[in-house]
Amino acid sequence: MIPSAGLELPRPSRRGLLTGGLALGASLTLPGCAYIRDDASTDAPLPESAKAEIDGDLVYFNWADYLAPTVVKGFQEEYGVKVIESNYDSMEGMYAKLAAGNEYDIVFPIAKWVVKLKREGKIRAIDPAQLGNAEQVFYSGSYFNDPWYDEGSAASVPFTVYKTGIGWRTDKVSSMTGSWRDLWNDEARGHVFTLDDQDEALGMAALLLGYDVNTADSSELSDIKDLLISQKEYLRAYSSDDVNNMVGGDAWVHHMWSGDYLYLRNWLVDDPTMYDFEAPSEGCPINSDAYVIPTNARHPGTAMVFIDYLLRPENAIKNTKYLSYPFPVKDALPAFAELAKDAPACNVEISDLENENVFRLLGTDEVQRRAAVWTEVKAS
Amino acid sequence: MAAPTAEATRRTAPRSAQRTRLWALLLALPTAWMMTFFVSSMVIVVLLSFGRTTNDGFPAFALRTDNYEALWNDVYLELFLRSLGYALATVAISLLIAYPVAYVIALHGGRYKNALIAAIVVPFFASYLIRMYAWKALLSDDGLVNSALRNLGLSDGITFLNTSYAVVGGLVYGFVVFMILPIYASLERLDTSLIEAGKDLYHGPVRTFFFVTVPATRAGLYGGILLVFLPALGDFVSAQLLGGAGTFMVGNLVQQQFMEGQNWPLGSALTVGMMTALTVLMVAYLRATSTQAREL
Repeated sequence: MIPSAGLELPRPSRRGLLTGGLALGASLTLPGCAYIRDDASTDAPLPESAKAEIDGDLVYFNWADYLAPTVVKGFQEEYGVKVIESNYDSMEGMYAKLAAGNEYDIVFPIAKWVVKLKREGKIRAIDPAQLGNAEQVFYSGSYFNDPWYDEGSAASVPFTVYKTGIGWRTDKVSSMTGSWRDLWNDEARGHVFTLDDQDEALGMAALLLGYDVNTADSSELSDIKDLLISQKEYLRAYSSDDVNNMVGGDAWVHHMWSGDYLYLRNWLVDDPTMYDFEAPSEGCPINSDAYVIPTNARHPGTAMVFIDYLLRPENAIKNTKYLSYPFPVKDALPAFAELAKDAPACNVEISDLENENVFRLLGTDEVQRRAAVWTEVKAS
Repeated sequence: MAAPTAEATRRTAPRSAQRTRLWALLLALPTAWMMTFFVSSMVIVVLLSFGRTTNDGFPAFALRTDNYEALWNDVYLELFLRSLGYALATVAISLLIAYPVAYVIALHGGRYKNALIAAIVVPFFASYLIRMYAWKALLSDDGLVNSALRNLGLSDGITFLNTSYAVVGGLVYGFVVFMILPIYASLERLDTSLIEAGKDLYHGPVRTFFFVTVPATRAGLYGGILLVFLPALGDFVSAQLLGGAGTFMVGNLVQQQFMEGQNWPLGSALTVGMMTALTVLMVAYLRATSTQAREL
């Protein structure tokens, strides 16, 4: 009897197996490449709006914890559908999944991503006439009747608005000046945080230098790079975890989002007077999120009903209180003003929305030039 | 060995063919799995490293070398050396922690051995990310550790977070279990009479430890070193959550190219470049360790 028969490697030989395996691997690579392709922007008209009628469970795709759970639960109970939730942790991650063909009924992109999704035909039109509460955001004179990111609000409904400013500890720092220069504050040396975000960091430096927040001009970027590197001796870290950095006491001066500051002040700290927020005089980046419905959504009707439900003032108020970000829903605005009464700089006024400091969708070469500068700043 | 009789061959032939088929089947599944999820994604990364980004921001295949040319940048070299330093420090500290722990459990754990190993492994079931956030809560300036130090009057507070120490600490905590387990496994198999013989010959626990126990467990040591070094070098979570303004690592650089930087081809070239450097380092390491093993 051959003692080793049971341990012998099967034919095909190891080499054969390897070759076969590689071929299999390569063949599987091809479908993967479907995503990596030249996807030229389309000028085709948007896929038409769905009717606001329940047509199945809602496949919901959002940042984690970015709507009040009671509101989502209320929708399920009222309409007898399930909300199937998945989350993204970046706009790039959200986009990659949509582009790979995953089907979601509702997504919550930041303004410039609405531009990109719309341009590529990845989202449908949303007809406000289908929404009973459309008047709450599209009332006469509303900025959102024709926002910069979506001409005529054809394919999106506004969700939240916010600004970027500076939050600080009043018990540690007494020499704030109301300028972005405060991120170079001597009293806070070693306790200053800048947001770990390419647009926000470059935008802050651009505002200080009097440049456009979207600049991709080489000499302006070079100035921005020098300015940001000069900040490093004051800096504790680059981090977007602004709330925890403030709560933990690591940050005394933090480049910060308005809603995060309000959340910190209203819900997390024992003594709110120890904290303050300013909107620097050189100007603040203003941003907004929107609701959109992807073209390949299976249940666009339910998504329309959901958007309409979120526009009801009582739900917008619950969400405003939960997130501490203002919702541009007319009858929910007083609730936000009440929330922000001790921190008026967190409020986003119509005049703020009309300013020029919004992060626009840039061309690839522009983004890559900006990224190279940001990499050098962080790596130096 | 005597030649098998004709009858025996006839009887065993079908059975061995059956076994061969079984082995083929058993191998086919993992092979298909690896090819689908490992090799094909590697192929995409390598191909994409010669690619470009379209004006709409999509990665696209091409045949160009500018992504590799871009790697010759002092900034990237500095980041690589910094990451290498962090990874080596992580390996050294993990080794100092892991060997005594594994030694005590394997040789003196008695009937609690399995419970002790479980106690080490179970915390690692929690996500790495969650554990990093927990460190943040513990070590922040007003966190639990600093509050305790202040209340005990031991210190005015120590800056733990956002330092290179915090990054290395996070890496050690994240990966030390990969050092403990292989060392534990090789100590478990160690014939303790070797140690006794060593004590007879060398007359001392310290010399016995370094000349008998450590060489006898070198397989576990080498395995542990690789298992800690490789993920530590490519990690980005620790530097992102616990690091400061000057602790950016190669992993963060790669991640940035795939996200905000909108430059998958450059990210892919960085990945391929890093894998090449690691392969060279690993081959050198394996050759050195196998020569050493032969000498022993």
